[in-house]
Amino acid sequence: MNVTRRDFMKISGVTVAGATLSQLGFDLTPVHAYATELRIKGAKETTTVCCYCSVGCGQIVHTSGGKIINIEGDPDQPTSEGALCTKGAGAFELVTHPQRLTKVMYRAPRSTKWEAKSWDWALDQIAKKIKKNRDKSFTEKNAKGEVVNRCNGIAAIGSCHINNEEGWLYQKFLRSLGLVYIEMEARL
Amino acid sequence: MAGKTFLVDTTKCTACRGCQVACKQWNKNPGTKTIQRGTHQNPEDLCFSTFKLVRFSEMEEKGKINWYFFADQCRHCIEPPCMYTAQGLGYKSIIRDEKTGAVLFDPKVKVKAADFKTIKDSCPWNIPRRDEKTEGIAKCTMCIDRIREGLLPACVKACPTGTMNFGDRDKILDMAQKSLKELKAVYPKAKLLNAEILRTVFLVVDDPQKYHKFAAVDDPTAITRIAAIKKLIQPFVSLSRFIG
Repeated sequence: MNVTRRDFMKISGVTVAGATLSQLGFDLTPVHAYATELRIKGAKETTTVCCYCSVGCGQIVHTSGGKIINIEGDPDQPTSEGALCTKGAGAFELVTHPQRLTKVMYRAPRSTKWEAKSWDWALDQIAKKIKKNRDKSFTEKNAKGEVVNRCNGIAAIGSCHINNEEGWLYQKFLRSLGLVYIEMEARL
Repeated sequence: MAGKTFLVDTTKCTACRGCQVACKQWNKNPGTKTIQRGTHQNPEDLCFSTFKLVRFSEMEEKGKINWYFFADQCRHCIEPPCMYTAQGLGYKSIIRDEKTGAVLFDPKVKVKAADFKTIKDSCPWNIPRRDEKTEGIAKCTMCIDRIREGLLPACVKACPTGTMNFGDRDKILDMAQKSLKELKAVYPKAKLLNAEILRTVFLVVDDPQKYHKFAAVDDPTAITRIAAIKKLIQPFVSLSRFIG
């Protein structure tokens, strides 16, 4: 580029004008990229508990038009105060992930393949197994001849995420079957 | 100085990567295909769709294993070299939000590979990333959509340990000085990394190089000088494109 003295004056003149303009606050930059509105604005907020470990951090589920649009920590929850770890922070993908299981998956004993089954089939299977094992292992009287009505063949492992009322129902159901091996543990 | 600032207190970090996932989730960034490389650091590096990454650095010293965690992200420089470099190259797609000080990239604007290299090289913290397919460039946005509405950035909101902090610059710097003072008593090497020129301040208790290659710069005045020079010559550079 050959710059004559005259050209140089022109360039610097324009430059000075340009510099002054920008200093006055004329920002001609397109800001469109981040001009969008907060996408959870006006969304319905429902509180819930993270489904993973026993800490039980609080979460807010944002829904709009009946669809979940975001899940994040609930700052009003006393245990977690809005914080979430990797698993909790990724909870949104529980709903949206393309690899999410949407059907009951069943692997028969000694089989190497998983098969997709219906919920009706699965619930019937569970009921059948409970009936079979309960009948097989039911102890009406112990060695001393005392009535105990125990079902020794089934153990139950509950979740830490069920609340008092649900826990009461769960316990009642298990006791009515005669179960004595009842645990509640989350870190599984 | 007004605006917002992050404080990343690495002594509190357990490397749970909650910040990393929260960042992906809020910014709707897709997952990155990764392979097992014998480290918990995953993905391997920042990319067009990974703005936040917990770096794991494991080293043995005097028979003892030390494990350093470094929740890497854009530093949102007060005088951002990337912005001045991009402007010098004629791009208007990197801006600085006046109210918060956030440095923002427009990921929709195409940037030539060679120009991107110049922009990336101008960043002392090795942050900008480009998508080869869309030719756009991207990095941490300071969750500008959230902070404009008074919410915390997604990473800070998620952090369970208090490593990630965010707020008005003066308050965060006070907090940083307070934590630094407490840590100095136990860790004489404790320091804030380039706090005076950055809006993402890392608090470390050992040599920054042990945490991450691009954790800190030794001579921050050099950065501001480069930025200042770029700022000065920028109108000439952009003009030369039309004339030359």
